[in-house]
Amino acid sequence: MNPLGLTSIPSVSSEGLVPVGKRTSLRSYLSSLWERRYFIVAESRAKVSGSTRKNILGYAWLFINPLLSVLAFWFIFGFILQSARGIENFLGYLVIGVFFFGYTGKSMTGGTGAIRGGASMIKGFQFPRAALPISVVVRNFLDFIPSLAVMAVVLAVLPPAEVLTWRIILVVPIVVLQTMFNVGLACFLARVGHKFPDTSNLMAIISRFWLYGSGVFFSIEQRLADHPVLLAAMQFNPMHAFLTLTRDSLLYGVASPTWMWVSAVLWSCGLLVVGFLFFWRGEENYGRL
Amino acid sequence: MADSKTAMGPALATSEPNIVAENVQVRYTVPTNDPSKGSKGIRRVANAISGRNGTTTVRALRGVNLVAREGEMVGIVGANGSGKSTLLRNIAGVEQPDRGRVLVRFQPLLLGVSAALQPTLSGGENVRLGCLAMGLTPDEASDAYDYVVDLSALGSAIHRPMGTYSSGMGARLRFAIALAARPKILLIDEALSTGDATFAERSERAMDELLAEAGTVLLVNHAAKVIQELCTRAVWMHKGEILMDGPAEAVAEKYRWWAWNVAKGEEDIADKLLADVMSNARQEEINVLEPEMVRNPIPRHAARPTKKKGIAARHVRRRDERREVEEDSIPQLAAAEPHAWPEEITAPTSTATFPVLPKPAVEAVGSQHWNDEPPPLRLHPGDKRVILRAADPNDRASSVAASGDLTGQRLASKVRLIADQRYADRMRKRRASGEAPHAPEAEADDSSVPRRRSHTTEDARP
Repeated sequence: MNPLGLTSIPSVSSEGLVPVGKRTSLRSYLSSLWERRYFIVAESRAKVSGSTRKNILGYAWLFINPLLSVLAFWFIFGFILQSARGIENFLGYLVIGVFFFGYTGKSMTGGTGAIRGGASMIKGFQFPRAALPISVVVRNFLDFIPSLAVMAVVLAVLPPAEVLTWRIILVVPIVVLQTMFNVGLACFLARVGHKFPDTSNLMAIISRFWLYGSGVFFSIEQRLADHPVLLAAMQFNPMHAFLTLTRDSLLYGVASPTWMWVSAVLWSCGLLVVGFLFFWRGEENYGRL
Repeated sequence: MADSKTAMGPALATSEPNIVAENVQVRYTVPTNDPSKGSKGIRRVANAISGRNGTTTVRALRGVNLVAREGEMVGIVGANGSGKSTLLRNIAGVEQPDRGRVLVRFQPLLLGVSAALQPTLSGGENVRLGCLAMGLTPDEASDAYDYVVDLSALGSAIHRPMGTYSSGMGARLRFAIALAARPKILLIDEALSTGDATFAERSERAMDELLAEAGTVLLVNHAAKVIQELCTRAVWMHKGEILMDGPAEAVAEKYRWWAWNVAKGEEDIADKLLADVMSNARQEEINVLEPEMVRNPIPRHAARPTKKKGIAARHVRRRDERREVEEDSIPQLAAAEPHAWPEEITAPTSTATFPVLPKPAVEAVGSQHWNDEPPPLRLHPGDKRVILRAADPNDRASSVAASGDLTGQRLASKVRLIADQRYADRMRKRRASGEAPHAPEAEADDSSVPRRRSHTTEDARP
């Protein structure tokens, strides 16, 4: 005690005390992430309903939006341009491309801003931050389901009819693989976007470039027939693999090349592991915005 | 009033620490408009392109040492920009300090002023979301819902979108959500200053219960009066350092006097006061004893190769170079030199035999591997369990008792007793200072400070 009545701090034992906010081991991180699964679902549902609540029609837009976009594609490409461009069932080809690419594209842009968008949650509560990019993907998945339903109806109603085989069920593993891919991508870009906020400006450009490079509007096999090297590089593109697999299973009812399945699985698992580990390594920094 | 304070003193000194902040230093590199900090050469061109003028480094915390024990409510006072909020963010683990470390017994919960969680969602949905974010299961969240609605006292406004709330209502809901998880460590950053009188009453009661359950509350508030009434201890922060640390009455009084003089523009008196406090203050150091040393006289880390050092330093290392450090002429308590350990451990500390402290429930109940890998921090020890204190953790007496049995009930009633005691003390204190508990707060700071000032001058005179 000094004259002012100040207390001096004595020695304290650190037993039972744990450093706060440190990155925990991967196993306990994963288990605490699993504990927050309800939070992830609630957060993504909140975002879906939050975005639709402003509108008068509300949830109906989840269906109206993809339906209108299909109509627009049908009007432009099927009716005005009449441009099948040597592709069988071009409308189905286009719809599958746009919707499946949209799932990944939105996860990409959403993941980039996930940390900054969740700033109020990060400052308020302590939870594994990977919940934020994952909830972005879950949210886009919830958006994607109505699109899938609309797509199924449209493909069944509008001519030409597709070839229905048992391969339709292959859509399920494809969506699972693509979701894994999206989670990895969102986690990876979440850390990049937190470190370099400028990334969000680039994302619109990269997303568009990727859209054209994945053969959404045209077949890259036909267009790049005389550039074999470029074609091989483009076929390595995971989105191209996902889209081709879906079209082959859903639209044409033919078996896809095995290497394409291998490529899709490798991309999904690889990016999931790499992206998640990359995000986890930066866990301590996300509080600084 | 003074009696209860001294009676509380020794009890606190022997209790276990819940928060230990050791030499916490934080710097921010921020853009600045200051023409004197402008850059030259190629960097100037780059700045012109990016539309920035230059950056400067602000030392938000300059080596803060703080120990908060269980059952303590520590008030933090200080001028704007003195690092109070930064300290709280670092203790909460939202940010990591550049140097030093923060150890906690339970996961702290930070209550900031940014109250709205998801503005488009209704208050009720935000309650659910917040509870789930704190790790509650959906069942626990729906159980907590009634408690939150009751504590926040929002009435039918709970069904409206949170974006339509006033700032006071938002803060109330946010506070109630935070308490729903029954945290052991609560950090409150100005969050309660927007609530009205009835909510202040409720929130004080809720905090009494938290403290009685061996929790710890850190409270940042600009009104020194609130600190005096609520806290057992207070800390005065100034320019990123702790200037004074002691009983809430004394510290808040000194701070109030200084702040009043600054507000009145009497700079020389304020400076003199500050110099007086600084000359009496000294850099406090914490000697953190590692569990290995407590158990075993031969420290384990002396024997094993210190492979960890490189890893531990990773977050400390800064890649961005800084060119300008914002410094001022006021003599600082902590010189820039880093100190983590005292240079030599004196005889009393090395021979001190520490009792093996009882562990929190998460450790005592669970694994044996506490040494290898710390368990994930929780807001509170398990709900349904009560640990009976025993000297030896392997002793059979330190078993886990269900909350339904007699011991649990006895402890719960004791908690209520302590909480009621705190409440009664506070009421008595308020009555003694000449205010009815529910009197309108007509007495502004302006009128009350000079009166207190005369008290302080008498006290300060030897």
